[in-house]
Amino acid sequence: MESTMTVEVSTASDDGVNVASSKPSSADMAFYYERLLPFRYVFQWLNHSPKPTKDFTMREFAYEHRSGAYQRYNSFATLDEFKKSVVSANPMRFEIGPVYSVNPKERKNLSKNAMRPLAKELVFDIDLTDYDGIRTCCSGTKICEKCWKFIQVAAKIIDRSLKEDFGFKHLIWVFSGRRGAHCWISDARARNLDELTRRSIVEYLDVLGSKQAKMGKQSLNLKRPFHPHIERSFEILKTSFVEIVLNDQDPWNDDNEQIDEMLAFLPDKDLQQELQKKWKNSSSNSKQKWEDIGIVAEKIIKNQARLNAVNEAKKDIIFYYLYPRLDVEVSRQLIHLLKSPFCIHPSTGNICVPFDLDYNLSDNRDDDGYGFNPMHAPNLITIQNELELYDSRNVDRASSQPSTDDENEAPTTKVLDFEKTSLKPYVNYFAKFVNDLVKDELKSQKRDRDDLEF
Amino acid sequence: MIRQTKRRTAGRRNFENGMIFQSSKLDKLYSHRLSFYDIPPLDEITLEEFELWAIDRLKVLIEIESCIARSKSVKEMESIIKPLLSKYLPISTLSKGNEKQIELERKKDHYSHFILRLVFCRSEDLRKKFIKTESILFKIRYNLMQPKEQTNFINDNNDKLNWSYINNEEKEQMFEQLFNATGSAIRSQLIMDNENLSINNEQLRQHVKMENFIKLPFEKIPHLLSARSIFIRNGEGYIPTTLQINLLVREFQNMLENNLIKTFQSLPRLDEDDRLLPVLNSLSRNFASVQYEVDSNNENVGDINSQSILTNEITKHYPLCGKHLQKTLSVNHHLRYQGRQQLGLFLKGIGLNIDEALKFWSNQFSANMTMEKFNKEYKYNIRHNYGLEGARNKYRPWDCATILSKPKPNKQEAHGCPYRDLNLDSLVSNLNDMGINDQKDINGVIEHVNKNEYTVACTKVFELTHKNMKGNENLHINHPNLYFDRSRQLEKSS
Ligand SMILES: [Zn+2]
Repeated sequence: MESTMTVEVSTASDDGVNVASSKPSSADMAFYYERLLPFRYVFQWLNHSPKPTKDFTMREFAYEHRSGAYQRYNSFATLDEFKKSVVSANPMRFEIGPVYSVNPKERKNLSKNAMRPLAKELVFDIDLTDYDGIRTCCSGTKICEKCWKFIQVAAKIIDRSLKEDFGFKHLIWVFSGRRGAHCWISDARARNLDELTRRSIVEYLDVLGSKQAKMGKQSLNLKRPFHPHIERSFEILKTSFVEIVLNDQDPWNDDNEQIDEMLAFLPDKDLQQELQKKWKNSSSNSKQKWEDIGIVAEKIIKNQARLNAVNEAKKDIIFYYLYPRLDVEVSRQLIHLLKSPFCIHPSTGNICVPFDLDYNLSDNRDDDGYGFNPMHAPNLITIQNELELYDSRNVDRASSQPSTDDENEAPTTKVLDFEKTSLKPYVNYFAKFVNDLVKDELKSQKRDRDDLEF
Repeated sequence: MIRQTKRRTAGRRNFENGMIFQSSKLDKLYSHRLSFYDIPPLDEITLEEFELWAIDRLKVLIEIESCIARSKSVKEMESIIKPLLSKYLPISTLSKGNEKQIELERKKDHYSHFILRLVFCRSEDLRKKFIKTESILFKIRYNLMQPKEQTNFINDNNDKLNWSYINNEEKEQMFEQLFNATGSAIRSQLIMDNENLSINNEQLRQHVKMENFIKLPFEKIPHLLSARSIFIRNGEGYIPTTLQINLLVREFQNMLENNLIKTFQSLPRLDEDDRLLPVLNSLSRNFASVQYEVDSNNENVGDINSQSILTNEITKHYPLCGKHLQKTLSVNHHLRYQGRQQLGLFLKGIGLNIDEALKFWSNQFSANMTMEKFNKEYKYNIRHNYGLEGARNKYRPWDCATILSKPKPNKQEAHGCPYRDLNLDSLVSNLNDMGINDQKDINGVIEHVNKNEYTVACTKVFELTHKNMKGNENLHINHPNLYFDRSRQLEKSS
């Protein structure tokens, strides 16, 4: 087994990532697939049962090869076949598609109409590129601890709505490896949604209107009183607006375009002019400017209704700068493929780990106040180092053989490779998620059987 | 049972798979004033009843169709349709002593619906039209019922709908959320139903308090969900009375659509019955707006020939598109292809036969070309339109929808709809030529033009130019030949 590392340090300028960045080599990838990626849990997660079902065997997997080739419609009969195929194909990453009405692998022997997508997890994709218009700390592929907070807030809002409004229970958030996060909803009800309903869920959540936001239109058209989802979201947004937007991003410090864009939200022409005048020759930060709006409005507007309108406009501004920006197409289409959890991002070497929205899973206690920190996400190089370190210590202690392939060792005491690395808490977190899902699934299958019997 | 003459007509053979109800139909089959028409009728009726009942229902549907075309609001439609309903298709409430009459009313409603299914199941277009008008009829009748009657109807149809109402306690508990989520959607629906309504927040709140909410899985209500028009919690959406009607109508539409397709598939068996077919055919012709068929036995046709159609006696009945085409033809002695088609088929529709048509066109073209050239290049096409050449199809005059769907005319062309294609100045001068000079009247027409409601503008012109003639109420022009025929009819009868 290859355990020495071959590291290519990234030189490509368009991938200038400020996360520890190195492109994994083909040998690194093969090593990772063989020894570290927790195939068993990925299998159980997609299969909803310990033994292979159609949910897994008729599921499409796609490979993105190093050559750039994209190979669709792979499918596997068992966990073993799944792992073997990935290890031997050694793709840069593999993606997960829907469960089809027939085995995707055999589609060539069947008529086109026979192959229909039946089910897939409901997925959401939030990416910091959609925030480039409003983030000042980074742009493009770069991210930092400041702008990742946008993702944190967005995830919290989507997560609460999916649970409280739609009643979904089995949600998992996964780091996309560079600058975003995916949410997979695995409840049977979510998996069986048709495209119309998927679209309407996205539209329900897509308050900014993905098109509208891109075109820079200033009318959010939020009805008053706020819809309960909007009201709940606003409660979340307003507590973090000062920190994330005003302090961290400070978008209106000296960028006149940004200032004008924000002013356009205000319904009162006099107020806009007065503020422009006030800010023209003074340098003030976003927090001061935000306070100025209220102060100047109080001074020049005597009519209570107009004052109220200004207050409502301030709420719109908070939504515009902080509400989740969603990639609509990803969620809408049943046949859309999405990178599997625990894949490796080909440009950063980061592992696409699942994370908890409320707790820091890593051993890095500095992040306890922050939560999942993508800057400290497990990276292929670091975990390879960790594994090597662990194994070398154990070789010293036990025998001259590495412990992995030792048949004499009792399986109960065998330490799995991922457990020797910082990947461990993330895999365990995923395992618990999968376990809960499978348990629920078996319970409801039993219920269905019982219903049939009576 | 009402059965004067014992003749087998719409009997078991035609409405299959029904269940047999022997007695007291008011208990079950006709227990409500409203129906999903899910059980086919089984009793025999006379051919006279068959035809009369269908025609009566058709009258109501035609009126609804006309209201749709004139974009009437639901409230306006209700006030137009209500008198027609009590005349042709009453469904009264049950009270002591009127059981016999009630049963007859509901039976007529039931049978007429099923007879028209036979008429309208034959093409996608007809099915669409039928579903649309029937579902509006359903909606109007639902709105006419008392709230108690509505909930009874829904509860009794629970096997199809699976709707359950939330109780008062649950409603009070989440009232603020229900109001915040759904208030503005209720307001817009109320305003849509009744244009002149103004409702302040407190009134709206009181209104929402009166609403009965049902709880449905969100998968059932994607449209309300995406608009954030309802409160949703734990996977279920809460739908107030005001927004339920649209759901109910959608269920009605879905069921009707499936049933129409089933009816269509079983239609060949019906064709064996040689007494029903002529009745059905004449019924579908009666739905004037469906397709304009030329009737050569029409008494008005006698005076249509290549000469008379150049006189004011005839052209004064032309709609503007016909006038515009014929004027262009006599000025240029030529028309481009689309124009020749549109005018040629229109003239065919008013009764110009093939011989007269050839005479007319060759006369018109003779200033520009030899008879030889005409015969070589144009004659075939004219005969073709009359089904005498080529595939020998009988081409129908274009209706407004067809005209509006063709490519717009360029500078050298004259086909199309003048209300859409003429610039404002020439449109106004054309209106003046037709005798419309009052500025208010002209503005009324232009208003519709600006809203892209070209057939409504044309209807308005018809109304303005036939002011003194009785019987033009509620006509909607959607076919140039309808304009022509109605205009001549009115002239004759006044
Ligand atoms: Zn940043």
